[in-house]
Formats: sequence, C-alpha cells, structure tokens
Amino acid sequence: MPSRIGTILAYLFGMKTNLNNLASHFWGRFLYGLICSLLPLAIYAQPHQEKPQENEVTAEFTNRVQQYVKLREQLDSKMKKPSGKSEPEQIKAYQTALQEGLRNARAGAKQGDIFTPGMAAHIHNIIKQEFKGKRLKKLRSDVAKAHTQGVPLRINHPYPEQKELDEMPPTLLLKLPPLPQQLRYRFVGENMLLVDTEALLIIDYVMNVIP
Amino acid sequence: MKRILTTLGLTTIFLLSCVGEKVRSQNSVAPKESFQITLPNKSNSLHFAVFGDMGTGGEPQRQIGSLMWQAREIFPYDFVLMTGDNIYGGESAKDMEKKFEQPYSQLLKAGVKFYASLGNHDRSNQRFYKEFNMGGKEYYTFKKGNVQFYALNSNYMDATQLKWFEQELKNNDSEWKVCFFHHPPYSSGKQHGSDTELRKVLEPLLVKYGVTVVFNGHEHFYERIKPQQGIYYFITGAGGQLRPGNVKSTSLTEKAFDQDQHFMLIEVVDNQMHFQVITRAGKTVDEGVITRQLQKGP
Repeated sequence: MPSRIGTILAYLFGMKTNLNNLASHFWGRFLYGLICSLLPLAIYAQPHQEKPQENEVTAEFTNRVQQYVKLREQLDSKMKKPSGKSEPEQIKAYQTALQEGLRNARAGAKQGDIFTPGMAAHIHNIIKQEFKGKRLKKLRSDVAKAHTQGVPLRINHPYPEQKELDEMPPTLLLKLPPLPQQLRYRFVGENMLLVDTEALLIIDYVMNVIP
Repeated sequence: MKRILTTLGLTTIFLLSCVGEKVRSQNSVAPKESFQITLPNKSNSLHFAVFGDMGTGGEPQRQIGSLMWQAREIFPYDFVLMTGDNIYGGESAKDMEKKFEQPYSQLLKAGVKFYASLGNHDRSNQRFYKEFNMGGKEYYTFKKGNVQFYALNSNYMDATQLKWFEQELKNNDSEWKVCFFHHPPYSSGKQHGSDTELRKVLEPLLVKYGVTVVFNGHEHFYERIKPQQGIYYFITGAGGQLRPGNVKSTSLTEKAFDQDQHFMLIEVVDNQMHFQVITRAGKTVDEGVITRQLQKGP
C-alpha cells in the first residue's frame, strides 16, 4: 500500500509526467480528481482571519480613526451643518469651513499618522489575499482607468473637484476595518487614501497597496 | 398588437406597439423630429422618468431636459430617478445651476422631484442638496404608489450599507421593489463591463428579497439586460454623456443603443411595468412591459 501511495504521489508531483498513465491508474485518478475539486473550494471558502498581531494593528488603526473622528466632531459641533434641504452655497460654506478647521487642527499631521506601517502592510496583505488572477488584473485595470491621475498624495490637501472618486470594491471593503461615515478608503492609482467625505480632505495615504 | 418577446419562469415581457399621442418640438433646442408615447398613459397609474450620467452642463443635457419637459406635457410624471454622475466636476452654486437647475428648470418649476443616487463623479455632499431629495443620506428609500424605491451608493458599498439595505428589504412588503444605483452589476460595455465585485455582494439580496427591477448608469449608453435570476437590469447612463460604439452585443444583451443620449419613461400599472426609451432625436429605441412575479421573496 505505501508503495502504491508513493506511486500516486510520484504521479501527482510530476515524477512521472505521462498524464495518460495517471488517468489510467484508478487511485491516481481518484486522488487527482479529489484534490482538483476540493482545492478551489478550500481557497475560496477560507475567510480572512486576523492573527493576534493583525488584531493589534487594526485595533491601533481603529483607535487613531476614533481620535480623528473625536477631533472632527468637536469642530463640527461649532458649525452649521447642512440638512437634506440645503442650498449649494450652504453646502460649500460648510465644506470650506470644515476643511479649514481640520487643516488648522491637524497642521502637523504627516503620512502614517493613521495608516501606521503595520496597517499599511496589513492592507497590502488583505488585497494580496483577496485579489488574485483575473480579479487582480481587473482591479489594476479599473484603478488605472479611473480619472484620478494628478490627485496629490499630500496630507491636508483637498481632494480635487475635477477628479473622480473611484468605486471601492465592496468585497474589499468587507475585509478592511470598517470606517465611520466621516471617512472613506479611496484608490488613487495603486495607492490608498483616507479621505474625509464632507471636508473632502486627504487625511492619510499609503502607497502601492496593490501587489 | 402584442408580441411575446421573452418568457422566463413566471415573468413575461411583452413588446407593445400602442399608438400614443404625438409630441412635437416647440423650440430650437428640442429635436425637430416628433415622437410617440407608447405607454398606456393611464390617469391612475404611477408615472416616472429615469436617466443618468447627465451632469455635464452641455448642450445634449439641455436638449434631453427640454425633451423630458415636452414628454411630461402628455405623459405627466411627478418624479425622476437619477442613476448617478449627477454633476461632473465642480459643485459650486454656479455649477449646480449650469449642470442641473437650468437644464431641468421647467420640470423643477412644475414641482417634479428628482431623486439622486451617487456616481463616481459625485461628492457625498450632494446628499444635502435640496433638489436631489436624498434627505442628507447617501442611500435611502421611499415609496410611491405600490412601488418601494431604494437608492443605493454603489460607490462605497460597505457592511453598514448592506446591513441597512437588507433590513429595509426584509421589513417591506411592497408589491414592487425597485433599486437604482450607479454601477451596473451586468453590462456589455467595453469601457467598464459588468461590476462583478458589486454583483457578488448585492445580487444575493436582490434575489432573496424579491427586487424586480434595477436601474443603473455609469456606462454612457442604454442597455436592457436579459433577466438575471428573475431581475430586470437597465443601464441608462446617457442623459448628457455619450460613448458611441461602446456597447457590444453580448449574451447579456436584450437591447442596446449607444448612438444618442436618451432618457426613460416608466409607467407602473398594477403588476406591470411599462417602459419606453426616447433619444435626443425623439426616437423610441426600446419599449416593452415587465410583468411582476406574484409570489416572490421570503
């Protein structure tokens, strides 16, 4: 029996490369078929489970996001927030005031303040695990086609009006740590930005997250 | 005369060739060619219009706006669904005037309500704009007649939105459930194509809770997709923009048109939804009726 298994493994690992021989061998055919049918399922079904180290990284990220939101809420509470029945002038005035307030309050902010190096690596890993083959190719193609060229990678810089906000793949959003409604992940090319939705301000960024 | 076009499960599409009233252009901006309303145009049914990717501020957008006004004179509708890319570029007061208020000034004056969804060119702050009727939310729902409408933000479909959407669907027993959002889960466009990542998370909910019709934009043409798992998908993304020659006929395509800007007129009569697609030149490029499944959803 061991010699039989050895033979089968030998077939599977290419020690005997004649596929006709493999197909004609009952055990080889059985095992080969089993592996072929289960392997894609196993890959697809494997959820992204955070390791203890990843937990610390995302907890730190979430903590920093919450600190940002707290600061923002302090500023927001002093402003007249538009309702669902506002005029464009009112909306623009709010956006400008919030933008200015945040820029002043975070004057010393620098890259990596929220996207820590650990978080940057974590995002890179999530994308690497989630997007493979055709899906990775499509993601690369989508971000390349988006009209985001020229968006500056600069903290506290407004996201330019003329540039689109490229759709974030929902399958990726479900894997990334969730953000409060004031913040959004955004792709600009192969870089990921953290953008304030109402101030339209770049809060942080991480480069080359798409493998 | 009715001709059976497709039969799929309990749902059937008929092509109608009803004779309607003629509309003639009244000014130089509107097309000179006349067009016909082929919808039943009943007084007690629900009427509305749908279009997307309109906010350029250009001449074609204004022409579509003018034609929509003319169509309303004989097919009175009270609201319009917007499938996103409502405003391209800046969103200052001047921009909003040029890219929205002016092209649809007659409709706005007449009290027609526009319900917006957000596209990739739209900023989240549009949700505060009074004329977009979003109630300060990026995704929302409202009811008209026997139809529950769901405006989604496909630009950022996160867990929070999906949870909200499922809850809203679950708690609703409306006869019709209609969704509108920017990115098409199914498309034969060369520029973008089907948004398969969005489809993965959204389609199971649409199927499970009996959504019948979905309106999308993003692709700058018109396409009616063959029903997918009992759901009818329309791409109407040329209310101002246009990408001629961009739609290739695929196995998904029921009907496609990419040679002119267009808008859609819809009429819901009990368990039937009639649709008509009218181009800037006043030509009807697609029309038909969807019959709702009577028993669907959990």
